[in-house]
Amino acid sequence: MAKFEPVLTRLWDVPDGHTLKVYEARGGYQAARKALKMTPEAVVQVVKDSELRGRGGAGFPTGLKWTFLPKGRKETFMCVNGDESEPATFNNRILIEKDPHQFIEGIAISCFATQARVAYVYLRFEYINAFRIMEKAIAEARAAGHLGKNIYGSGFDLEIYCHRGAGAYICGEETGLIESLEGKRGWPRIKPPFPAIEGAFRKPTVVNNVETLCCVPHIVERGADWFKSIGPPKSYGPKLYTVSGHVEKQVCVELPMGVTTNELVREHCGGVWKGRQGKAAVPGGISMGLLSAAEFDVPLDFEAIRTTGCLGLGTAAVTIIDDQTPIVDVLYNTARFFAHESCGQCTPCREGTGWMYKTIKRIKAGGGRLEDLDVFANIADNLGISPGTTICGLADGAAWPFKNALAKFRPELEDYIRTHQSAAKVTPLQEQVTRGERPALFDPPPAGARPALTTTRK
Amino acid sequence: MATILINGEEHTLPEGAALNAIQAAQLFGVDIPYYCWHPALSVVANCRMCEVEVGTRDAKTGEIRMVPKMVPGCQTPAKDGTVIVTNSEKVREHQRLIMEMLLINHPLDCPVCDQAGMCGLQDYSYEYGQSVHRFVETRNINPRKEVSDQIQLNQDRCIMCTRCVRFAREITQTNELQVMRRGDHAEIATFPGEPLDNPLAGNVVDICPVGALLDKDFLHKQRFWFTSKHETICTRCSSGCNTVSEENRGALWRTRARHNPEVNDFWICDEGRYTYKAANSPDLLTAMYVRTQDKLNVAPVDQAVNTVAQTLTRITREGGKVAAVISPFLTVEEAYLLAKYVKGLNAANVLALGPVPVVGEDQTFTPDPRKGRTGDTSFVVCRPFTIRAEKCPNRRGVEAVLAHFQGSVIDHATLADRVGKKEFKALYVTSDAIEPAFTAADAQKLRPGVDFLVVQDVWPTELAAAADVVLAGATFAEKAGCYVNAQGRLQYGKAALPPRDGSLPDLDLLCILCKRAGEGPVSSRDVLRDLAAEVSAFAGVASGKVPVFGQPLGAPADGQAEPHVYVEPWLITAKARGERFFVDAPAKS
Repeated sequence: MAKFEPVLTRLWDVPDGHTLKVYEARGGYQAARKALKMTPEAVVQVVKDSELRGRGGAGFPTGLKWTFLPKGRKETFMCVNGDESEPATFNNRILIEKDPHQFIEGIAISCFATQARVAYVYLRFEYINAFRIMEKAIAEARAAGHLGKNIYGSGFDLEIYCHRGAGAYICGEETGLIESLEGKRGWPRIKPPFPAIEGAFRKPTVVNNVETLCCVPHIVERGADWFKSIGPPKSYGPKLYTVSGHVEKQVCVELPMGVTTNELVREHCGGVWKGRQGKAAVPGGISMGLLSAAEFDVPLDFEAIRTTGCLGLGTAAVTIIDDQTPIVDVLYNTARFFAHESCGQCTPCREGTGWMYKTIKRIKAGGGRLEDLDVFANIADNLGISPGTTICGLADGAAWPFKNALAKFRPELEDYIRTHQSAAKVTPLQEQVTRGERPALFDPPPAGARPALTTTRK
Repeated sequence: MATILINGEEHTLPEGAALNAIQAAQLFGVDIPYYCWHPALSVVANCRMCEVEVGTRDAKTGEIRMVPKMVPGCQTPAKDGTVIVTNSEKVREHQRLIMEMLLINHPLDCPVCDQAGMCGLQDYSYEYGQSVHRFVETRNINPRKEVSDQIQLNQDRCIMCTRCVRFAREITQTNELQVMRRGDHAEIATFPGEPLDNPLAGNVVDICPVGALLDKDFLHKQRFWFTSKHETICTRCSSGCNTVSEENRGALWRTRARHNPEVNDFWICDEGRYTYKAANSPDLLTAMYVRTQDKLNVAPVDQAVNTVAQTLTRITREGGKVAAVISPFLTVEEAYLLAKYVKGLNAANVLALGPVPVVGEDQTFTPDPRKGRTGDTSFVVCRPFTIRAEKCPNRRGVEAVLAHFQGSVIDHATLADRVGKKEFKALYVTSDAIEPAFTAADAQKLRPGVDFLVVQDVWPTELAAAADVVLAGATFAEKAGCYVNAQGRLQYGKAALPPRDGSLPDLDLLCILCKRAGEGPVSSRDVLRDLAAEVSAFAGVASGKVPVFGQPLGAPADGQAEPHVYVEPWLITAKARGERFFVDAPAKS
């Protein structure tokens, strides 16, 4: 394979790469100048031809998304999804912190293509540094005429506003993000209407991921064919992989799509830590499921990953789990995360994630039953947009690790339950459950503790 | 002609209606269970109870293509060629799962819950749930709290359908209610110091499908299945909202809203909601009185009515004029009989409209399809709701009767002046108002002006104390009949209570005075038929039957089929449900 030349990360090691001066010196904003001389339709066509797929998780073709905007619309908004909340994902943060102008140029071109005059950058609450760097970069770009009124004399106006969320995972879902941006509770909306028809402030809205937009200037500058020369079919282009977990060195590395887990671990991370072996891996954020060690050679791209039973590539945030970590612990953390982050709107997700968390907590505490695994399987099969039982994909994310774990690690889970029967139970209920008794859910309290009956009535 | 296929049966959709799958199925007698959907609120599809299998049928080839996953019925438009399957094993399985999930944190305290008997969880558990439960963990227990002085929120019973939140956001646009916290700890909350105190707040209790939001006024007073439900018209203001009055053991216990898209949509105001208390008052008149030796004495009904009839006939024979005050709280039938009686004595007798109470200004809530909404509004028809300043139910109806008998409407103040000038020998005053309408000042003004004063009322007022004959009539809850609301819509309300001891409904009193033919208690429908035959404005109800949503005054009968009246599934009567859901009883041989 020919040596891959960094695209998105080319300025990361350059001193002061985040300043406008350095960015312009390295050919920055030329793509924007080129794009603004074209027609918006032509820019959309280039992006469409490049078959760029959204980097946020679902992998929806970006150019196609833009064509869903209604014809003859008066006002369009661009929302950039920087609410990077998937555990172990941090590529957007580094992209913004190291090279904000590439991002701004991407926003400018995309806004021109979609005719959006206002772009909102929705950053997660914790990204304070990225927020400050963005604010500074926007001010620089505006002063230099890359933003504001009548950019490059083309008659195109653009303002970019940065908005920090309030710390909810669900606001990374596009309609949840829009609700949150409008100042409401971050509850995803039902679709249809899709944001392209009715989004932020009830106007047509495009929601794209930070990394997706960072690809756009390069596509415009070098053409769709160049973009398609990188990576395997249907998964073209460079991708930032973030590798964390039980590896020697946790990295964010740019590679063509289709790299395998083994390659990532061996060539970029210095192997699994402490000389151990990998047992499982998360392919792209925990909501995408689990890979077993046997599947470490499957290319991590949009298509191949699905053959393993995982939900998709997700954010390409690979987490390695070593052979000394019980899968129950992984599931416990996962379930806790999703039970905490479920927005509470749809019944299956609200109750299902909480149920799974309580059960896995009991198993971990040493009170598991083998039939709990069947309950997991049944709940997991009925959660999410794939069976059609929730509004958004959070529930799929909660279900998939369980589904994959049951398919790939069931013997280990059963072993765990058999061997981890603790004497100290967390609640009397769990004690009964472990003994195999039918739990009475309405045990009367001790006689002395019973409150006296009140006879007064209003 | 749009046709849809529900469970393999073809149905024709009504023209021009934007319906979702639930509404369409309801039209054809198929129930899709739901909690969060409400016809007046935006669609959020969060309870996930209404999931169905959906597909489309190709108009040309007839080929059916199903969507691979289930879809919420509330969000699915019913269009030409839509295929809906509500009874497949997949859908049933899903409904069982949702019921199981909704109950895992529910306290199941039905024996002490006010909603029991009218509860979505109970009904759907029976019809769509399962008897086994796999959840063995500890339940979440959310606290009970007060959202206002009037309404209590049992958060542990809440299923987070957010109907109440959307009501406060979209209908009243006051935004008192919010969702707080996330996941299975989510709860409905108010902001500190900002209670749910808008004038329509009580409706959140009506729309709550479970026992989470409860009215403290009704709390632990009656079981739902012990009360008889009567379809009444609210008489609190001239809007004429459609209501259901719940009665047991001779008293009213609660009023709920009844659907009428032409008048009140699904709502009633709190003022109207608690008006029922007046009908339970111990102060109401419980006897008829006749003045003998300058003292009011309790008299039997026949003696009181005969005294009125004989005295008025005598005065007429002696050439004296009689004036009558027709209260705007009377039904049109009563107003008609009274006018007919008084004008029948002497065509020169004078009829006047009773005092019309006006308090404040009209208050209108105008829901906007876009304002405050987060969900899909394509199936919502926004209708304004008005609380009117005119606090009587039937001014327009009485005026229509007066206009027919007298050509012009004389108001109460004008009549009082003419009484003061001793123009009349006798005065017949009716009231039946919700609160006592006449004060000592009225008594001082009216009493000296006439020789003979009849007061027909439900309250022992100063005017009644000064009268020669006091006739105890019926309260708003005790009378059946028609009212014409501020929009000019004639609506029929049933009686919710039997007549009090010692009283006689106004309609019967007036029938006796009129010497109306026939025996036994009179039916308001018969009187309405006479009225319609005589007064052209009422010609639309010549059959004596008033359409479900009322009849605009002056308009001809439209002859339309009975419209579909929306009733929450958990309020559909056991009989109607039984026909649809439960196994038929074995046929008697």
